[in-house]
Order: sequence, then C-alpha cells, then structure tokens
Amino acid sequence: MATMESVSEFSAPVSSVFVTPKRSRIKWGTVARHIVLVIFALIILLPLFWVILLSVKSLPDAYQNDIWPKTFDWTHYGFSLTKIPTLPQNYMNSVVVTLGTVVVATVLAVLAGYVMVFFNLRGMPVVFAALVASMFFPTRVTAVIAIFETQKDLGLLNVPAGLIFPYVALSLAISIFVMRGMFQTIPRELFDAARIDGAGPVRTLLGIMLPMVKNGVVVVIIINFVAAWGEYLLAKTLNTNQSAQTLPVVLATATGGMGAWVWPRLAAVYIMAITPGLIIFAFAQRWYIKGLQEGALKA
Amino acid sequence: MAQLSVPNPERAPFKPGTTGRQRLSEWMANVGIGWLFLIPSLLFFIGWQILPIVRVAWFSLLDYRPIQASRPVTFIGLDNYAQALSDPLLHQGIWRALVFTAFFVPGMIIFPMFLAVLIDRVTHPKVAAFYRIILLIPAMIPGPLIFLLWKWMYDGYIGPINYILTDVTGWFTIQTQPQWMSNQLVIPALTIMEWWWGLGYHTMFFLAGLATVPRDLFDASRVDGANEWKMFWTVTFWRLLPVTLVLVVLRFGTAMAVIDEYLIMGGFLRDRPTYTWTVYMWDTAFQGVQDRGYGSAIGWVGTFFMLVVVAILFRLFRPRD
Repeated sequence: MATMESVSEFSAPVSSVFVTPKRSRIKWGTVARHIVLVIFALIILLPLFWVILLSVKSLPDAYQNDIWPKTFDWTHYGFSLTKIPTLPQNYMNSVVVTLGTVVVATVLAVLAGYVMVFFNLRGMPVVFAALVASMFFPTRVTAVIAIFETQKDLGLLNVPAGLIFPYVALSLAISIFVMRGMFQTIPRELFDAARIDGAGPVRTLLGIMLPMVKNGVVVVIIINFVAAWGEYLLAKTLNTNQSAQTLPVVLATATGGMGAWVWPRLAAVYIMAITPGLIIFAFAQRWYIKGLQEGALKA
Repeated sequence: MAQLSVPNPERAPFKPGTTGRQRLSEWMANVGIGWLFLIPSLLFFIGWQILPIVRVAWFSLLDYRPIQASRPVTFIGLDNYAQALSDPLLHQGIWRALVFTAFFVPGMIIFPMFLAVLIDRVTHPKVAAFYRIILLIPAMIPGPLIFLLWKWMYDGYIGPINYILTDVTGWFTIQTQPQWMSNQLVIPALTIMEWWWGLGYHTMFFLAGLATVPRDLFDASRVDGANEWKMFWTVTFWRLLPVTLVLVVLRFGTAMAVIDEYLIMGGFLRDRPTYTWTVYMWDTAFQGVQDRGYGSAIGWVGTFFMLVVVAILFRLFRPRD
C-alpha cells in the first residue's frame, strides 16, 4: 500500500477509476499464464510418459506405434535384467562409479570450500584462479586423449572404478564453488567463536557448520550424481569391454529392434537407468531447490 | 571479554616464551589443517585436470601413433599444427560447431527467460513449487540418456514424433515424413532436444535473478499503466541482463565443445553436419590409425578458437558503470 500511495503522486488520479476493469484483465492473464505453464509442463513430461508406456507394451504393440498399448506386458524388466548378458554387471558398474564419485567429490568439496572461506592460506589465490579457469576449459573433451593415456599408464583401462578419478576431478571445481558459496553465508564470527570455545577446525566443521550447509551438500551430491551416472565420452573411450562398460554406453550401443534388444526391453532398461536419479530428486528436491537459491547459482 | 582476540596466522607474532611444540600446534591449527584439507582436492585436480591438459599439449607436438608399434614416437614441433591449420575438414568442423551454437544458444536463453517470468508471477507457493519440480526433472536425467531418449523419439519406425505427424495428424505420409537424423534436419533436431533438456535448469538461473528484483518496481510500473510487455522491456529485461550475459558466454562455450550428442546421434560420416572438430579429434585419435599426435593438435586448435571467442564475449559483456 505504501508504494501505491507514493507512486500515485506521479500518475494521474484518474487511474484509480480503471482499477476494477484492470483486475478482471489480470485474472485472464493468470488463466493464460497457467495454460502456457501447463503446456510447458506437458512438453517436459510427455516424452517420459512415452518411454514408460513403451517399456510395458507387448511386442506386437511395440511395432504398432499407438502410444497407448492394447496389451500390457510387464515382463520386459525382468527379461532384460536376467537374459541380456552383462546388463546386471553394467548396472553395478554404474552404481560403483557413481557412488565412488559422489562420496569422494562431496567430501573433497566440503573440505576445500571450508578452507577457502575460513583459512587464510598463502597459495590460495593461485588455487582459486586455477579452479575458476578450469570451469571454462572443456578438459573432458580437449584432454580426452591424455586422460586415456593416463588411465592406461595406471592400468585403469577397462576397470570401471577407474572412472572415479577423472569424474571427481572434472566436477570438482563447480562442487568446491557451491560449497564455498554456502560457507560464505556463515558469519566469520561463528568460526572465531567456536575456536575461542576451544573447538578445533575439524569439530567446528563437523559439529557446527555441516548442518548449516546441508542444502549445498545436497546440490553437490546431485551435481556429481548426474555427471557420473550419465557420463558417456570417457566411459566409452576408457572402457571398451562390454562387461566393464557403464549403463549409458551399453544403452547407446544397443540398436533397438535387434535380438534381445527389442524396443520395449530397451525402454525398460532406460527406465531403470533414469529411475535412481528421479528417486533421489523426489527425496531431495526441497533441499536441492533451496540450495540452488541459497548460493549455489551464484557460484 | 574485550581482551579476547583470535590469533591471525599472517600477522600476529608468536608470543615470547612459546615453545616449539606450541608454535607447531598453532601453525597446525591455522595453516597445516587448511592444507591438509585442500591437498586431496589438489591431487585430483592436478592429476586429472591439469596434467591431462599439459599432456595433450605435449602430444600435439609429437608424431604419436601407438598402434603402429614400429613407428617411433618423434618430436615434430609444430608440424601437426601446420597441418591442422590448413586442414579443410578442421575448418569445416569449427564452422559446423558454430552453426550448432547459433541454433543452440538463443533458445537456451529465450524460453527459460520467458518461463521464469511466468513462474515468478505465480503467487501460490505450492503451485509455483510444482512447476519448478516438473521443470527440473530433465535436469535430473544425465545428458547422454536424454540424447538416447530423443534419438528414439525421432526414429521413423518407433518414434512418437513422426507417429503424430503421419498417423495422427495426416500431415505427412510414411514416404514424406521428416527424416530427423538426415543431414538436413539433424542440427535442428539436436537443437530442439537441447532446449528441452536445458529448459528447467536455465529457468532456475533466471528465477534466482528475478528473486533479487524488488517487487515495488513492478507495482510502480503497473500503476504507471505499463502493460506486461512494456514492463518486461523496461524493468525485467534489464534486471536479468547480467544473468543473461553470463549464460550466453557459458552456453557458447558448452555448445562449441559438444561431443556426446554427436557421437550418439551423428556417427562418423565426414559429410555429416555433426562431424565437428570434437568428433574429428576423437575419430583421429581413437579410430583408424589412431593418430594421437594429430588428434591432440585438432583438439587444441578447436579449443583455442572457442576460448578466444569466449574471451571476446567476456570483454564485450563485462559490466560497465
């Protein structure tokens, strides 16, 4: 109300006459806005519904193209997990690589972000500049040849867990900056006060600060989960044996309609590939969106 | 209470009479622990970020084809670069990446900005949260899995897009239906897919930007009789400009160095519009004679070009007073 009054000095008093028609116009605007938003929501959701439906179509239906299946067939999930060779192994590979990456990257990012905000180390400007620069450099693409050679030298080709090393490194800068942004929201006095109370830096971090930056931790976990779970280029280049490959590579190699990989089975594997991410999101979205707003997007 | 002060590692001299052990523990608490926490990150960062960049630069100066065991690895200076700079396929590869980028960036900015303005007006907190969650779903699916989904959606036999265009609407027949993965349509098809993927994530950036705009500004211009369109161009657009410019630079860099979608949807035919410098690099280094030296040079030339343009954009868009 205060703004209304202050502004009305500058606009003609006649404008108040139009308040009533304006209100009804705004309501139409609201309806139109929601229609547009629902259309966008449908554009997002329909491709996913399509692939879900494809995964439960009976084989004849799958080649009929009708979006809604005439007969449902729920066996494709079980079939692909048990009958397609190496698939359980590929799934496990993805789980191991992703878990390893998420755990290592999150711990490293929390520690490094904490140090960057509360410690006054001499070499820090150099580290900071290198991390920022690395975010603009497409290392994964440009240096794929050298990453391959490094992994070869270490004997990590065709070792699924070997992917953890490059994966952690490649999203480390963004993870550290998310955590740095979160720690910056904590007043420095808290760190100093904890020290005066005799808490060491480890206890300050674990006991006091970690709960305060938990939304940022969720953001870091999700960033690293998505990056590792779906990474394709390095996974394809470094692991060429089918038993050492991760899910996205196997799925991309599988040609739909061929042998064990008939379309509904391919779709079933696809659903099993995207479900973990969606489950994590369903549980963590509240903290994730909060974390994004609190400082992660400013990084 | 006022006497308490926190020791500053840089300036405060050690109190006279402190023993070496006390000094060590004080150093440990101020500096040592810091480095101890940082070193693991640095190991990963140096080992798999900096070292590969340096190594690939070194490879680009070598004649290096590891599968030809009889061929000695020799230092050939800038010969690979001389070859790369006069290689028409590399020129074309950079040009193709630019074409894709020109498609990619505008839609990555315009649609999310539009959506963010709409969502920002939704006053009901639950409804607003609902839209945000739906929009963020694609951001939870890793890129390569998105590319697979769309590759199937564009498929001429199984894909729902051509099913709608032929069987449902009757606009096309099986003979005339668009071949989305053909040389003519693959770039627009990829672009639509990228827009879909980036829609929600980028909307979040703009929503974060909009959250910092004081509501009074909107109320004021509304009272002044501005309609939505005018309000966007007088208030919102300028407030979002910093976010927009950052996103343009970031996405320019992303789009120029894209490779996964080309490998999944494009293949290795050299006349494909998806055969950009990144695919050329991978193809050269890992297929055929596996020329890792020349492949590295291709990668560096493409990357250098990209970085120069990003630097120019940064200069153009730097905040002015």
